[in-house]
Amino acid sequence: MVNANANALGIIFPNSYDSLVPELVGERLMASIPFAGRYRMVDFILSSMVNCGIDNVSFVVRKNYHSLMDHLGSGREWDLTRKNGGLNIVPPFSEKTIKQYTGRVEALASILRFLQHQKEKYVVMADANIAVNFDFKAMLDAHIESGADVTIAYAREELPPAAMNDDVLNKELYYTLNIRNGRVEKIFVNSKEPGVQNFSMNIYIVNKDLLIQQISSAFVRGYMYYERDILASHLDELNVQAFRFDGYLARISDMKTYFDENMKLLDESNLDALFSPNPVYTKIRDDNPTRYIRGAKAKNIMVADGCVIEGEVENSILFRGVKVGKGAKVKNCVLMQDTVVEAGASVEYVISDKNVTITEGKEMKGTDTFPVYVAKHQVV
Amino acid sequence: MAKEMIAMLLAGGQGSRLYALTQKLAKPAVPFGGKYRIIDFPLSNCVNSGIDTVGILTQYQPMVLNEYIGNGQPWDLDRLHGGVHVLPPYQQATGSDWYKGTANAIYQNISFIERYNPQYVIILSGDQICKQDYSDFLRFHKEKNAEFSVAVMEVPWDEASRFGLMVTDDNDKITEFQEKPKNPKSNLASMGIYIFNWDILKKYLEEDEADPNSANDFGNNIIPNLLKDGRNMYAYHFSGYWKDVGTISSLWEANMEVLDPENSGIDIFDENWKIYSRNSGMTGHRVSGDAVVENSMITDGCRINGSVKHSILFAGVKVEPGAQVEDAVVMGGSVIKAGAVVKHCIVAENVEIGENAIVGAMPSDGEKGVATVGPGVTVGDGAKIGPNAMVYEDVKGGEEKW
Repeated sequence: MVNANANALGIIFPNSYDSLVPELVGERLMASIPFAGRYRMVDFILSSMVNCGIDNVSFVVRKNYHSLMDHLGSGREWDLTRKNGGLNIVPPFSEKTIKQYTGRVEALASILRFLQHQKEKYVVMADANIAVNFDFKAMLDAHIESGADVTIAYAREELPPAAMNDDVLNKELYYTLNIRNGRVEKIFVNSKEPGVQNFSMNIYIVNKDLLIQQISSAFVRGYMYYERDILASHLDELNVQAFRFDGYLARISDMKTYFDENMKLLDESNLDALFSPNPVYTKIRDDNPTRYIRGAKAKNIMVADGCVIEGEVENSILFRGVKVGKGAKVKNCVLMQDTVVEAGASVEYVISDKNVTITEGKEMKGTDTFPVYVAKHQVV
Repeated sequence: MAKEMIAMLLAGGQGSRLYALTQKLAKPAVPFGGKYRIIDFPLSNCVNSGIDTVGILTQYQPMVLNEYIGNGQPWDLDRLHGGVHVLPPYQQATGSDWYKGTANAIYQNISFIERYNPQYVIILSGDQICKQDYSDFLRFHKEKNAEFSVAVMEVPWDEASRFGLMVTDDNDKITEFQEKPKNPKSNLASMGIYIFNWDILKKYLEEDEADPNSANDFGNNIIPNLLKDGRNMYAYHFSGYWKDVGTISSLWEANMEVLDPENSGIDIFDENWKIYSRNSGMTGHRVSGDAVVENSMITDGCRINGSVKHSILFAGVKVEPGAQVEDAVVMGGSVIKAGAVVKHCIVAENVEIGENAIVGAMPSDGEKGVATVGPGVTVGDGAKIGPNAMVYEDVKGGEEKW
């Protein structure tokens, strides 16, 4: 294969960690949560794959994937409308005998036959709860050079508060790693260790044949989780290497982090870090440029195209097509696409979902630690 | 499968009066309105009117235009049968010709039109800013049982002699055509947009080609010939916004009018008549804590740290702290460095305006010039570009251009 293409196919699990942000996934899944003004969470990992020459990407979806299908379309915006490879969305079969998958093993088992027929030698797996400009090429090179069976990407991070919450841990699994000389010696599931950890990004590179073999045997034994049931218990036989990521990443682990990670992008060094070195692609909406009408005041904001601003906006992220009426005040807010803040209304520490309308003169106020969330299509 | 109507878009114009802006690209490819190029308007009009087959006739500096149009996907014109096709002049077994005139350009592509076997052909111009429903124009053409129709605008009588004028009877039937006359008999100016019955167009193109004295031009040759033969010719009245952005000042003015849709009539915010374009794919724009943005249009990728008033900024423009931008059109990727003052001017793509440089000036008595800086130009620190200057080569630091 020519150098431009990586000898790897991608698999993305768009439903991973859905339960961390129940409000945001009411009508969608983690991968299609709007983020950073004009993107969806999945755009980052998907663009990273494409930019590294991975042009065969499958989404193994579990539920609520209508918004993801709508967003990805034919995959054209990511250059994935291909005869060979390209974008592949694998929905669950709706048959009585096959239930929705819970862990990665079941999800992968549903595409085993597909995997067997792909020409690529390696498989890259990732979730969509992390927005990151990730260099899969470097990780793949490291994987090949080390002769590893599996390589796991991790970041030096503290565990988020959600990872300390037992309610959350009943539903979602976090992995931290013990590493010696680059090799993973132990995988901890839902450790509550304080301080900076080797926190798994749940990005894996596996030799495809090995993966197929692992999944086939794990599936018949009724194992669910790839990390817990296949990797963690076989670290002495498997050569599992760790790949450290030191760049910028935004991890969504609850509403608070969703709000904070958006806000962090108002710092241009963070914004530049997330959007470099490679571009991030997203669905095109053909919005007109944003218009600031006489009387508008703007201070420390990031605004996508298609907005009309007549009021005051400060310390906020405005997604595409947001309208801020005359005399309206928007401060410390994340307003998703097509939110309308009518004349004279005032919002502070508010996360508004798609198509929300804050009617004339209304006031809404959350706090730094607890931003108010307004669900999709609501009229306040 | 036959098409009811296909469009032929004349996009070969050099736009010589835009000089610095059209050194390396054809006029239809000139950026406009924050994220568009001029040609986005007729192309979007086509799609919004239900026309799915468009031939674009190019000649002058077609590289940027070709690349921009690509497969036509941004306008939904990547179709199995039809879609958008760029049609440059080409070599034939009998020889090769540049397009000699507007009519000759269509003549040389008769075989393209015949592939679609249309009943009607609409001839469009690639250098006008106009939102128009061509399906309404076609409805008129059919109602009048016309063989040829032309879209006309009422212009002020004192300006009428600058235009090609259609003299009509009470039923909008054209009785006479005056090209830039001294004594106008009508104030209905041709917009250069025509609908022909294809059989009529083909016949007249072939006859025109056979005439060695013809300039092969629609206005000068085809329309007079149609009139002479007493064809059914009608004038379709259009009353919306229309602007031929052929000069620096009209281009600047049209951009400023986009900022004032309530009064100017050019509304690019209309959800029901979207203007499509190829997207920059940049992140949302940033307005910093110390910046001032007033009455302006800002596009994705911009970083505003200075002051921007009554201006249009295209994708990826950077305005550094202390810089002032007013009444300006700043095209994609340009950087206005700290302390620079950019006023009442057009700054083309990928320009760098150095620190404390001054470009243009607000109009004063008898001085209304729109300064222009051509694409890719670097204006050095502290340089000064006068309000009537047109710059297309780098300007050294401290230098003055008038």
